[in-house]
Amino acid sequence: MKRTLTRSILGLIMAIAFVGGLGLFTFRISTNANAWVQQNYNGHMSGSSGLEQAGIIYDRNGNILAHTVDGKRVYSDDYETRLATLHVVGDNSLNISTAVQSIYRDDLTGFNYVWGLGLPSSLKSSKDITLTIDSQACKTAYEALGDYNGAVVVYNYKTGEVLCSVSKASYDPQDPPEITEENEEEYAGVYVDRVISGLYPPGSTFKIITSAAAIENMPDIYNRTFTCNGSVNIGGQEISCMSTHGDIGFEDALAHSCNVVFAEIADELGNDIMQKTAEEMGFTKSYSVGDIPTARGEYDLLGASQNERAWSGIGQFTDLANPMQMAIMCGAIANGGDANIPFEVKTISSFFGLAGLNNTAKTESLIKSSTANQLNDLMRNNVTSYYGDDMFETLSVCAKTGTAEVGDGKEPHAWMVGYSQDTDAPLAFAVIVENSGYGYSVAGPVAVSAMEACANVLRN
Amino acid sequence: MLCDLSYIFIYKKEADTLDVNSVFNGLNIDGFKIVIELALLVIRILLPVLAVIIVFQCYSSMRRHRREEKPLIMLENDATGEGVPVLYWENAIGRSRGCDITIADGAVSRDHAVLLRREDGWFVSDVGSKSGTMVNGQTTQGRQPVFIDDKITVGNTTMTIKRADDYTDINKSWFFSRPKNKKGIAPAALMFLITIFNFFLGIEASLSIEKQDFQPMGVFVVFTLVTWLFFFISSKIIKRSNFELESLAIFLCGIGAMLLCRQDIKQAYVQIAAMIVGIIGFCIIIKFIENPDRVKKWRMGIMIASVLLLGVNIVFGAVRNGAANWIEVGGVSIQPSEIVKIGFIFVGAGALDELLTKKNLLQFIIFSAVCVGALFIMSDLGTALIFFGTFLTIAFMRSGDLKTIILAVAGAVFGSAIVLKFKPYIADRFQAWGNVFKYADSTGYQQARVLTYAASGGLIGVGLGNGYLKYVFASESDLVFGLMCEEIGLIIALACGVAIGGLVFYARAITTRSRSTFYSISACCAASLMLLQAGLNIFGATDILPLTGVTLPFISLGGSSMISCWCLLSFIKAADERTYAAKK
Repeated sequence: MKRTLTRSILGLIMAIAFVGGLGLFTFRISTNANAWVQQNYNGHMSGSSGLEQAGIIYDRNGNILAHTVDGKRVYSDDYETRLATLHVVGDNSLNISTAVQSIYRDDLTGFNYVWGLGLPSSLKSSKDITLTIDSQACKTAYEALGDYNGAVVVYNYKTGEVLCSVSKASYDPQDPPEITEENEEEYAGVYVDRVISGLYPPGSTFKIITSAAAIENMPDIYNRTFTCNGSVNIGGQEISCMSTHGDIGFEDALAHSCNVVFAEIADELGNDIMQKTAEEMGFTKSYSVGDIPTARGEYDLLGASQNERAWSGIGQFTDLANPMQMAIMCGAIANGGDANIPFEVKTISSFFGLAGLNNTAKTESLIKSSTANQLNDLMRNNVTSYYGDDMFETLSVCAKTGTAEVGDGKEPHAWMVGYSQDTDAPLAFAVIVENSGYGYSVAGPVAVSAMEACANVLRN
Repeated sequence: MLCDLSYIFIYKKEADTLDVNSVFNGLNIDGFKIVIELALLVIRILLPVLAVIIVFQCYSSMRRHRREEKPLIMLENDATGEGVPVLYWENAIGRSRGCDITIADGAVSRDHAVLLRREDGWFVSDVGSKSGTMVNGQTTQGRQPVFIDDKITVGNTTMTIKRADDYTDINKSWFFSRPKNKKGIAPAALMFLITIFNFFLGIEASLSIEKQDFQPMGVFVVFTLVTWLFFFISSKIIKRSNFELESLAIFLCGIGAMLLCRQDIKQAYVQIAAMIVGIIGFCIIIKFIENPDRVKKWRMGIMIASVLLLGVNIVFGAVRNGAANWIEVGGVSIQPSEIVKIGFIFVGAGALDELLTKKNLLQFIIFSAVCVGALFIMSDLGTALIFFGTFLTIAFMRSGDLKTIILAVAGAVFGSAIVLKFKPYIADRFQAWGNVFKYADSTGYQQARVLTYAASGGLIGVGLGNGYLKYVFASESDLVFGLMCEEIGLIIALACGVAIGGLVFYARAITTRSRSTFYSISACCAASLMLLQAGLNIFGATDILPLTGVTLPFISLGGSSMISCWCLLSFIKAADERTYAAKK
């Protein structure tokens, strides 16, 4: 019988594996409970009932953006504000996955795994969230977008606070639309926060990166003279320019956004340097805006031809940029190369007034300070010599516009990215207006409205 | 039960959205409402504490009231005068070091003879040795009774049977590390704890958010009466001193029945009825295998009956939820594969002399292959896997032959690969594995909901009847682990898992104390079978393994499964030497 005992080891192994499996499940449930719970089919949180215990969401000035009244989730009193802040705040059905109500839902509802969702309502402790955004500035930017869809983000590059973040198309969270085949077009991408998750071809705004690569790798770049004949043949195919710039230097080429010059620079620098510079400047990085991850930009020259490389240098080819990332890059230039990573949630406080999270910016070095200083001069020159310094009424702004071709006979996307140098309003911004036209003429005015509104917030 | 995942979109009922104002309808006084809420919260916290105590006490009293392991008799070597203790009810004698009585004599075969004890005394039985075994100079044939002072000769060695002297403890098991320790919890006290536990569950279910009525208390009362009656019969009429194993099963059954109260109260009563049948089966099997040698005569019959039953199932089986593993008999639908599990253990286990005489596993291998094959045809993959795993444990315990095991596993892997190659759609069933949220609306529907609702339950659950997983198809059977996590919390769910898993440790601990290898093999394998089933159920539902759709022993809804689990438990009970020793 001794042998029988020895041979029962197979059962013992199974039992140990079984106990191990139970351990694995316990580990998984304790680490992933939040993610598992936050499913829109979860009956414990269905409709607004999941948020019925949720705390209040304030903007930076204490204006209520969302709160619960008699078991119903109610949003800002102002219709336009509701639309402008939808993608930051979120809706009842958690359609916008990067919104505060989705990401911080466990804080808002007081979910923790120990108690699960079964705690009696009388004992639940929900928390209130104060955001860094200014609802008035968001509303202004939303209105400035007019009939177009797009994204606007403005943040304080010294503190990291996001003052304005608007994504359009939007809808009223108080009266969410039922999306059918008929209105599908109107609401295309409505559940996406374009600031956080949007990806667009960067067009000429990418020339900031190509410039940085040139500054660092072409010692004589400021002394060189390029010739623009309206188009150039690189690698057997034509690359065209908006106009014929003739003989032109580096600084003017950026101000006039000459495609020929920057295509030639990219071609000369080669795949490795272009790829390395784009990655170093965070173009392909996903940032954590608080706990919200941004979409990763795309820049991939692996196996790209000479012609494709040239196109990539002027922000076409397969390049894709995320608006938040563009704003962060501009903030880094303004800050001498170090970016303060933005955040949208200022404080999370519990019901009893105990301070929870209190955010501060994390710093990340993206650009060499000498390069940042030269880019600063170049981007300032763009505004003073080309766009006109009176474009921004009270701010001295450094910027770059872009007009990204999208093909299919559609109007191009209009871009403008940059920052203000003013010490009382240190703001970096990115604006994209979809299928609207030229960067300067369409994105420009939106940027002006948003920047001035945010500057106003800081100055008062 | 569930096999074809294309059936998972069946909702039993749309989940009503929760209206807070309807909670405690009629109880307009806020203060009263809060008192009830708090009382329920206290119950929800007490339940896991009770569950842990119950499971702990069941196992800790299994460790107590043990006799000290002293030699039963002695064998005195005539040449050397050396005394060898005979420790077990069945002892292998031979040259091999694995034998219980090892004799260093070149003329002795590796496995020479078996010295075994039965109700009517001691026997010696030659197991095909080269030189044969002699008692008092006479060559034995079959089982030869032996008495004190008889001389047994194997090879050139002759030994005299002596009464056991006062030998001290020899073979200690960690499980019984302190057998003489203070008395464990009284069986009645343990039953009382379980009754309180079920009472709390009943209260919780009665005051659930959706419905407030006292129907669940009816289930509680019936369940309590049945289990106390069983306890009374066991301790007063059969006069069995211990009841821990039954208590453990009753505890699990109680959870299963109470979980059903807010799903389908009729099913809760059906479940209790199945438990009664199971308990009767439990008692009958214990009586039937009282004499382990009787089983030998029945083995062929059981084998044929099992194969026939599966055959009938294949021919007349009804397809339910993708698996054709049901037959209808007189309005009652049963799952033959559940019944065959019991036959499988019967056929697999055997007394030591029998195992050593007939070392060939071929008959058992063929029988197993037929069973597994039949289950494949019924596309009941989960049960096929359970049978295969049980086959491995039985085959290894009988033969100790690692080659057979490796060969069998290799064969199974190869076979599955071929099946997948020619029927690639089978693999689609497992596409959601590891990615259930991606397929949350298709093949991962059930698992995704299990994870979401299990996490929603937290450590103590949302309260019986307040869950949402109950609206998902098969939540009371295949997904019952998730239902437990959601409604009564992770702690109780894990306690149940540990309770089932612990049976293997217990079965192993009593292996050498059983009255025959028939009991020890059948106990270990019955425990392994339930463990495998629990593993496939729990890990399938929680996306650690692919979902195969088997029931959780004792807890899942399913009459056949309930009956078969009680019958399997009887093998473990029978392996405990105290079972057949009546209280004097």
